[in-house]
Amino acid sequence: MHGRVKVKSTAQQEEEKRKEREKKLKAFVSARDAVLRKRSAGEHDEEALQLTQQLLSSNPDFATLWNYRREVLLQLETSREKDEVQKLYESELHFIEACLKVNPKSYGCWHHRSWVNTRLPQPDWTRELGLCDRCLSLDERNFHCWDYRRVVVKESGVSVEQELQFTDRLIGSNFSNYSSWHYRSTLLPQLHPQPAPDSASNTSPSPTASPQIHSHRVCEEQLLKEYELAHNAFFTDPNDQSAWFYYRWLLGRAEREEMISCVYVSRERERVSVAFSKPVHAQSEGLMLVLDGQPQQVEWRSTHPRLRHSPVWLCDLPPGSVSDISNEHNLTVHWTEKYTHRDCALYTGCAESWCRDSATDQELFRSELSVEKSSVLQAELQSCNQLLELEPQNKWCLLTIILLMRALDPLGHEKETLAHFQTLKEVDPMRSSYYSDLCSKFLIENTILKMEYAEVRVFSLSNKNLTTLCHLDQLLLVTHINLSSNQLLRLPPQFAMLQCLEVLEADDNAIESLEGLYHLPKLEEVSLRNNQICKLSDLESLASCTKLTRLDLRGNPVHKTANIDSELSQLLPLVTALSL
Amino acid sequence: MTATLFSPNTLLLDKHADYIAAYGSKKDDYEYTLSEYLRMSGIYWGLTVMDLMGQLSRMNREEIIEFIKSCQHDCGGISASTGHDPHLLYTLSAVQILSLYDSINVIDVDKVVDPFHTLFGVAGLSLLGDEQIKPVNPVFCMPEDVLQRIGLQPDLLN
Repeated sequence: MHGRVKVKSTAQQEEEKRKEREKKLKAFVSARDAVLRKRSAGEHDEEALQLTQQLLSSNPDFATLWNYRREVLLQLETSREKDEVQKLYESELHFIEACLKVNPKSYGCWHHRSWVNTRLPQPDWTRELGLCDRCLSLDERNFHCWDYRRVVVKESGVSVEQELQFTDRLIGSNFSNYSSWHYRSTLLPQLHPQPAPDSASNTSPSPTASPQIHSHRVCEEQLLKEYELAHNAFFTDPNDQSAWFYYRWLLGRAEREEMISCVYVSRERERVSVAFSKPVHAQSEGLMLVLDGQPQQVEWRSTHPRLRHSPVWLCDLPPGSVSDISNEHNLTVHWTEKYTHRDCALYTGCAESWCRDSATDQELFRSELSVEKSSVLQAELQSCNQLLELEPQNKWCLLTIILLMRALDPLGHEKETLAHFQTLKEVDPMRSSYYSDLCSKFLIENTILKMEYAEVRVFSLSNKNLTTLCHLDQLLLVTHINLSSNQLLRLPPQFAMLQCLEVLEADDNAIESLEGLYHLPKLEEVSLRNNQICKLSDLESLASCTKLTRLDLRGNPVHKTANIDSELSQLLPLVTALSL
Repeated sequence: MTATLFSPNTLLLDKHADYIAAYGSKKDDYEYTLSEYLRMSGIYWGLTVMDLMGQLSRMNREEIIEFIKSCQHDCGGISASTGHDPHLLYTLSAVQILSLYDSINVIDVDKVVDPFHTLFGVAGLSLLGDEQIKPVNPVFCMPEDVLQRIGLQPDLLN
């Protein structure tokens, strides 16, 4: 359609071809000019229909001509009887079908066809459904046709069962049918909805939630049948992604409850740090801070100017309100938009306090696939492992096994998971960066879980081939972090969420950017040996970390900068121990 | 699509730029003429790539700007080419081209963006039951939750 197929031919054949194309072009241009002239003259007659037909037959994407054609047809309607109008539009449907043969994915054609059905005194939905069947048999993934089919189904009242059977037929004849599987995922919850869950625990349900309308989940009995269907598909053809994606949808993705996950209070800085379960825009969320029963006028700010939507927000308490360490205080943060809140008590003699839901309790890192009972997940893991024995290099199988293991027991399966990632990078090297990043994410999750279990505020993940950082909102309370000997390229703005950080070790990476080391109020010591910090400007944000006294920059290209010693002491006057 | 043994593994930037620079002059080309219905977008695609390659100056800025001016209709929308009907797609492409050329004001900007129609359009969709849009109050044409939060209620006139 866009290019021209190169065919070897003699000079004479070339010349003949050229002449023919010139002729075609001339005919097209004169017809086009004639049509546009008629249009501006406001002529709505048979000739307009003929000209547009001629042009659209070879160029059905010429949208303006369909617009014109509709104007003409509407005009003609006014002078015709009902049965003539029926005939007029029926022949229009024939014409559209011919155009669809030229380009089955023409927006103009499908739109015009929908329009014609609104003008037909008696639309024939059976025929329209038949057209969809035929188009889909030629191209199963023609989304224009799928959209049109949905309209036809709705207008003609075809039942969900019938459509489900339709997907049965398509999938049965060819498992590689992404669109059919997808369509199935929209039909099943309508036919076999999951019954409404019991009322929620500590928060009142949101007024807009409605399980009937908003749940896209399927009841268990039907799910088990669907698992079998998916098994059949990927055991038959393990390399086709459609069934694997459907399978992942079946295994489910839990909706995470919206809540305040952590409130941290610092007496010294008279500051409150709040972590939410998802990125928010604090000013739009109806946040209210109550101190000892009194609502406080506070202004919320993000930890970094680049993060206008962030899971972590800060505010300053009125001066003197909590600074006296002999006083006890009770703080509550209300998230009025979500009808939830979190309390935090600041005890006498304590310089700081926090209240946090553990990631373990929240099953935070299992929400990838967590709707099912573990017995079901275990059975699915077994099936996939069986397939892996037959197809040890199948990437879909490997990835699904990793996800199942994480849903069941992230820490227990850590070793196996790392081994599978290694295999994945070997069998699918084009996506090795994706696997490295995903593996990094899972390792970070596991480290957070281990840190919680040990009840410490030290996060250590060195020499683990980390390529990216994530879940930084979960590290709000961390005081010491060790990321040495990895493959990190930057400390992104999100790093500024580590509001309690005192010591950072990130030697032996490839770090170029320190954007996230921004207004970290407790940061005292930073070691960035053997990284890729090149310019003085890369270190600018450190000036905002006013407690920083020790900085190790040995083994970075920046040491070659002219007068680097004096430049740095100007930029960071508070740093007393500087190594270059 | 798999790379064959003979595929180049570097971008032949000069050749790409030459191709695009020459493309617009193929006015007697059949495919070129047939694709007139998307001309505005085609121009944008070509220009943006030339800009990425640092060769935007090779394109005919004045001619393109005149072309865009000739494509704006009374309603404010812009068509793919002269004589074609205005459409959102080509209005966007035109605005993108003019941004590249820092010449946004050669068209009637106020007409292109009609805030009332846009707002009414969104409100209309909500009132028609579009689930992805918040419930909208038909009197104030504002989201219901905003009205609740600021305590605004219509007073019926006696």
